[in-house]
Amino acid sequence: MADSTNKDVEKNVSRRDLLKVGAAILGATGLTQLFSLNSLQVRGKEIPDEGGRKWGMLIDINKCIGCNYCTYACQAVNNLADDMLYNVVTAEETQSGEEYFLSRPCMQCAEAPCVHVCPVEATYYRPDGIVEMNYDRCIGCRYCQVACPYGAGKSPDFGVAEVENRPRGVVEKCHFCSHRIDRGLEYGLTPGVDREATPACVVVCPTGARVFGDLNDVESPVSKAREEAIVTLRLREELSTEPRVYYIPPTTKKTGPFAGEGES
Amino acid sequence: MLPDIHCPTIKLGKRSIVVFPYWIGLLILGLLFGLVGAFIVLRDGLHVTGLSNAIPWGLWISIDLSAIAMGGSAFVFGVIVYILRIKRFEAIGKLAVLLGFLGYSTAGMVLLFDLGRPLRFWHPVVYWQPHSLLWEVTMCVVLYLSVLMAELLPIVLEHPLFKTHPWLTRYKALGSLMERAHSFAHSLHKAGPVLAVAGLTLSLLHQASLGATYSVLAGRGIWFNQSAPVQFVFSAMSGGIALLFITSVFVFRVMRPGTVSDSAIYDVARLTGKITLLLTYLRVWDWAVTNYYSFDREVFLQTQILDTIAPYSLTFWLGQALLPVIAGSVLLAAKSIKNFRYLMLAAVIPILAAIITRWNYNFAGLIASISYDPFTPGIILNSYTPTWVEFSVGTLVICYWLLAFSLAARYLPFSSGHDHH
Repeated sequence: MADSTNKDVEKNVSRRDLLKVGAAILGATGLTQLFSLNSLQVRGKEIPDEGGRKWGMLIDINKCIGCNYCTYACQAVNNLADDMLYNVVTAEETQSGEEYFLSRPCMQCAEAPCVHVCPVEATYYRPDGIVEMNYDRCIGCRYCQVACPYGAGKSPDFGVAEVENRPRGVVEKCHFCSHRIDRGLEYGLTPGVDREATPACVVVCPTGARVFGDLNDVESPVSKAREEAIVTLRLREELSTEPRVYYIPPTTKKTGPFAGEGES
Repeated sequence: MLPDIHCPTIKLGKRSIVVFPYWIGLLILGLLFGLVGAFIVLRDGLHVTGLSNAIPWGLWISIDLSAIAMGGSAFVFGVIVYILRIKRFEAIGKLAVLLGFLGYSTAGMVLLFDLGRPLRFWHPVVYWQPHSLLWEVTMCVVLYLSVLMAELLPIVLEHPLFKTHPWLTRYKALGSLMERAHSFAHSLHKAGPVLAVAGLTLSLLHQASLGATYSVLAGRGIWFNQSAPVQFVFSAMSGGIALLFITSVFVFRVMRPGTVSDSAIYDVARLTGKITLLLTYLRVWDWAVTNYYSFDREVFLQTQILDTIAPYSLTFWLGQALLPVIAGSVLLAAKSIKNFRYLMLAAVIPILAAIITRWNYNFAGLIASISYDPFTPGIILNSYTPTWVEFSVGTLVICYWLLAFSLAARYLPFSSGHDHH
């Protein structure tokens, strides 16, 4: 009799222990769900857009004459000080030593290092793919700047403390003139086609080297231009940042890396 | 009971002078100089610094990383004292907690000036982006500082000032406040093991994440290194415990003779010796993996260009390989050497090595950065010279560290054994 009660007690205890362990495991699993890798991934990934638009740009290096108008137009519409450049034009060389001009806006990467590293989600993906910044949230740690593989892609206002366009100390960068795109769409315009809805650097370019539009729309100017181009490239593609700015490399017969091909 | 505290003296002719007040005066002068720079940077913003878009992380970040490394002994000795319960290290463990707190608070202070928007320092706590290593580092530093404060409070409250001061009986409110503080401190002390585990986790997590902060950035050549997190953890342990050894000799052997046995202090030296040798082994393998067994064009070019402007490779071979091996071996043989002067001299090297590692890591990827030019990519050489404001703020935080340490060394009771249990 005494033995059986003891056994019962043991059984009960073991059952209770089992329940406890089960509860602990459940609790621990629940906890891990709070910080699961998936939830970490979601923040790094893009939010899908209902409209399916993905803004992109194509820059024909053959047409660029290095006039810097894109830089100045950008400074004008974005209210930038003289020494603040969202867009940079540099003279570069091909392997055969031909000089060409490389103009560089923000690449609006689909896998943007700056978005991955921002500690406060101040840099984020808009549903239409533009990598934009929340200037009210930025703490100015400059990790995004360090992370960007495209050099001066983002610039805090070193040297322009008297102009408080954006709060002093934050990092800022090119955003494909998202204000023009948004306002243009409100008026029923098409970014890339209508001047008022297109980034200022594209509108101002005197040689039409820059083309803008929705990469997901085959009829958009940027998609057509990509279709027509023999070859396009993106900067530092080996880093898998998936930029949305495409370039047509120098391919003219006289200059460029393919000069001399087909001759002899 | 306070143990007798002997202040170091200097003999000038027949007079012997107590250095302490002059030393404190000097540090206060340094603090005042630092406050000028601090005021200027808070008023005018970061453009008073030598930082630029090409080199956005400079002197302050290097100080920040080094200060955190200097607190690296706290989590090791938290485990030794609270979990392994090795009694003879109890007093040294208290000193380690102090060093941890000083290192982390110094880092937090210098970061405050380094932020473009200092008043938004709390944003990471509210706006979470767990994908970011800097977010993780911030959260760990905030939480670990709380743990360190919880570990430090009982040590500070042991001072007789908070137990037997006449005001405590004269003013009832003050007395009951102190009583509450003591019972709170007692419960904190009881929670020691929990705090030690929390401290170990947080500290390991973010010492590693500090390395990962750099090493996840694929576009920066030298920075993109899988072993950086491990190196950061071990170099923080080696440098932090070496500093603990030097300060232990000072605080216990010079100022409080008899509180800690010499053999316990020798054991601290041997521990840092072991970790230094292990770290150097890892460092040399890491060098071999990145430079000998594999070839990365960018790393090769960066190293080459850095060697032309600075003794970059030399700082590795001499400062992080050869000297640490010698110093580690000397420290490991502490019990047969039995000479505190030589051992302290040797212990300086792991500290310098930890600082050099962080300094080089921060600047290598920024000074020699990789261009985005698609056809003939090369290395862009950037330059950075800190302005006097940066040195001034650097002086501020270093003087804060030294001042807080000196006052603690002079006034805190580090006696082992507690009355209340």
